[in-house]
Amino acid sequence: MEASTIIYSLAAVVGTIIVAFIVSIWLPGIERKFIQARIQQRIGPPISSPGLMAPLKFFFKETINPNSALPQLYNALPLVAIITIFFIFLFLIPEMYFLGALTSIIAIVGLLKIEEVIYVFMGSFSRSIMSLSMPFPDLAKGAKYPNLTRSFLEDLSSLRAFRLIAFGSFPLYIALFVPVARVGSIFLMDIVSYQQLQGPILFSAAGVLGAIVYFMGYLILLNEYPFAILKTKADVIEGPYMEYAAKYRSYVYLSRGFLMFTLAALFSVLFLGIPPNILSWGILINIIVALLFPILGAFMSAFSPIFTFKQFYPVVAALSILGVLAIITTFL
Amino acid sequence: MSLRSYSRARAVHVMLVYTGGCNGCDIEIVNSIFSPKYDAEQYKLFLTWNPREADVLVVTGPVTKYNEKPLKEIYNAIPEPKAVIAAGACALMGGVYKNINGDIPSEEIMGPVDKVIPVDAKVPGCAVRPEDILSGAVAALPKLLEAK
Amino acid sequence: MNSNQKPSREESIEAEITMGPVHSAAIEPYRVRLFVEDEIVKDAEITVGINHRGVERIMEGLPVEKANSLTEKICGICSNIHLWNSVMVAEKGLQIEIPERANYIRIIMAELERIHSHLLYLAHGNEVLGHETFSMRLFYIRETVMELLRMIGGNRVQYGVSVIGGVRPRCELNEKRIKKIREGIDFIEQKVSDFANRFVADPMILSRIDGICSISKKDALRLAVTGPSLRATGVDLDLRRDMECYQPFDFEVITQEGGDIKANLLMRVLEIPESIKIIRQALNNIPEGPITDRTWKMQDTDIIKSYVEAPRGRLYHSYRLEDGRVRGSIVRTPSMSNIGAMQYAVIGHHITDAQLGIVQCDPCFTCTDRAIQIIEI
Repeated sequence: MEASTIIYSLAAVVGTIIVAFIVSIWLPGIERKFIQARIQQRIGPPISSPGLMAPLKFFFKETINPNSALPQLYNALPLVAIITIFFIFLFLIPEMYFLGALTSIIAIVGLLKIEEVIYVFMGSFSRSIMSLSMPFPDLAKGAKYPNLTRSFLEDLSSLRAFRLIAFGSFPLYIALFVPVARVGSIFLMDIVSYQQLQGPILFSAAGVLGAIVYFMGYLILLNEYPFAILKTKADVIEGPYMEYAAKYRSYVYLSRGFLMFTLAALFSVLFLGIPPNILSWGILINIIVALLFPILGAFMSAFSPIFTFKQFYPVVAALSILGVLAIITTFL
Repeated sequence: MSLRSYSRARAVHVMLVYTGGCNGCDIEIVNSIFSPKYDAEQYKLFLTWNPREADVLVVTGPVTKYNEKPLKEIYNAIPEPKAVIAAGACALMGGVYKNINGDIPSEEIMGPVDKVIPVDAKVPGCAVRPEDILSGAVAALPKLLEAK
Repeated sequence: MNSNQKPSREESIEAEITMGPVHSAAIEPYRVRLFVEDEIVKDAEITVGINHRGVERIMEGLPVEKANSLTEKICGICSNIHLWNSVMVAEKGLQIEIPERANYIRIIMAELERIHSHLLYLAHGNEVLGHETFSMRLFYIRETVMELLRMIGGNRVQYGVSVIGGVRPRCELNEKRIKKIREGIDFIEQKVSDFANRFVADPMILSRIDGICSISKKDALRLAVTGPSLRATGVDLDLRRDMECYQPFDFEVITQEGGDIKANLLMRVLEIPESIKIIRQALNNIPEGPITDRTWKMQDTDIIKSYVEAPRGRLYHSYRLEDGRVRGSIVRTPSMSNIGAMQYAVIGHHITDAQLGIVQCDPCFTCTDRAIQIIEI
């Protein structure tokens, strides 16, 4: 490879990532202001506030030691999440397709799994003041069951995160394999080149079904509102994020926005055949998809209550069946 | 205005702690945030229930005995810079529960709030009006913005 | 399903989840310990008393007018009904016949307050359900009632309408105010029926609330549930029907079947039009005349008791008068008797539903925590 090509592709990679970051910090604000606030008939926050100004503000706050069994590891987890998402995004950029096996669906599934496992760790390390350690005489004379194991609220959300790994992310992973089944290859390079020749997979029966399943899986992975049992205000307050303060909380905020953009980029690679690349006009499609997904998600979350597992299981089962149907359709 | 103050002014997370009292102030504050008529989010005030996320602690009620320690713990859990707003007559001076009595005074009131934690802004009223809460938050803002 | 809902033995309980006194689902301070097995609640313990201010104790020996206005500070949601009932105790004891017009104004206030309390219940219920949009819409509807209450009483929360012998002169209803109340209740009626149609047609909400945290009729009577929570189980019991001051008005007592969250929410939705019906009748037939009777004389009395139907259920006030001062005051609030139902209803349900099960009984722990003796532990 010549030096100019290397510089050229390096510029493409760095530029794409910077654009992704810039777009992703506006996504929470757009969701909050233009969709939810409009539905709720109020003015709503400025679009820069939830995604950009809030993380920036937390960055300038005092760093505290979290109440945690392993404070340093707990604080490191959002960074691990950001790095994981960064790698997913990196492998989507066409300049990186020479990496071979790393730019396959299998690698992406593995990285997304790390993203989910992090919630389990976060939940089990967090020891917030808001539940058990609140100074209150619980075990007074006459209290029920004084000898039980007493657990924190975060343990509950850790348990839930564990369950979500087991079944919650099923729809997303099935949807990832719809293009694989159509193209007959797990490599992103093949999926992209197939679609550039044959037209996007989205415009076929299997593609439409797959896209629906992918979108719902996206909401589940992001813990958006109907599926936010991990961090619902009704019982676990903020769940795994309870103890993050100052700059670590701003990493949590940033990782969420970046994950939104990355999953949308993954969609446009798999179903539209347009990888994120700053040097082609295709990036505009990426940005449009990245905007469209949170907007549709905001509609969903504004009009639905929180799902408990009783609603969660049938929804996930139905979506998984739909996903399997989509894969079968690709062979017809 | 530095980037620090600018970002602090554009996203203020408010936490509500209710320490007794009669519910009136409390519902008015929740009303000022939830009701589309007042909609505190348009003034960049966001409601949170996690002290680690909060910047401004709004305290209502006269601080009863069993609320004293939780209130202190929650105050300590908020990272600097932070501001405290005492809202309502009870939070300011103990209200009717502390100051009015017949033969026997009430022994349960440990407040007012500034006996327990330092207070930066005081919002009077029984019960406070939603507009006053918003202006109270504005009054507490300079402390947040100027802090290092 | 309900017959299986007995508290199970300790062996099957795995862990305990503790929430409160500051928590996002509960605005008021209370501590709840949920004993769970695999996220299913097997037993619950609600601790109140955190909010204890000793209102009855500080009332002891206060002049009766002062003590009455203190009862208003028991609760910020149903302040008017506390004041009304406390004033009624004195009126019964001193044998004061209040003017008819004052009675009508009191009833209009009580029913407006019932609307505001029920709307708050629905808004809070939707918030715990996770439905932010409905919660905000209900707060928006509620704003109209708050404005009406402010117009009549001069304050949004503690209005202080009733005084011994009638109502405060400020709370006189002139033509302009009557017109505003009419406009307000028309608006509320329409908006609430819109909301109800949307609410019962939403399958996602129905799957969350239908059959969850139900209490049977028998259990409700055994646990001494009161008010709308009791009527939601199918028991036709409303004190307003027996109260003398409600005799001129024609209204129906709403009941629902099942006692689950759906029945409870619909109960409140359907009670709002009935309250509006009463207000309309009162506005149409309001008699002319004075609003305060100032001819009464203070005298000593025996213990006098009075019951009214508060938005949450049966409210009891009693005291005796001695030298114009209050002695031996006792207040029993509806939420006090509903705590048993809250602990019972959540058994056998998921933790996320459990918070909803506590909210379904419309808890008002500020009402409850007044005079329970707290012993230092």
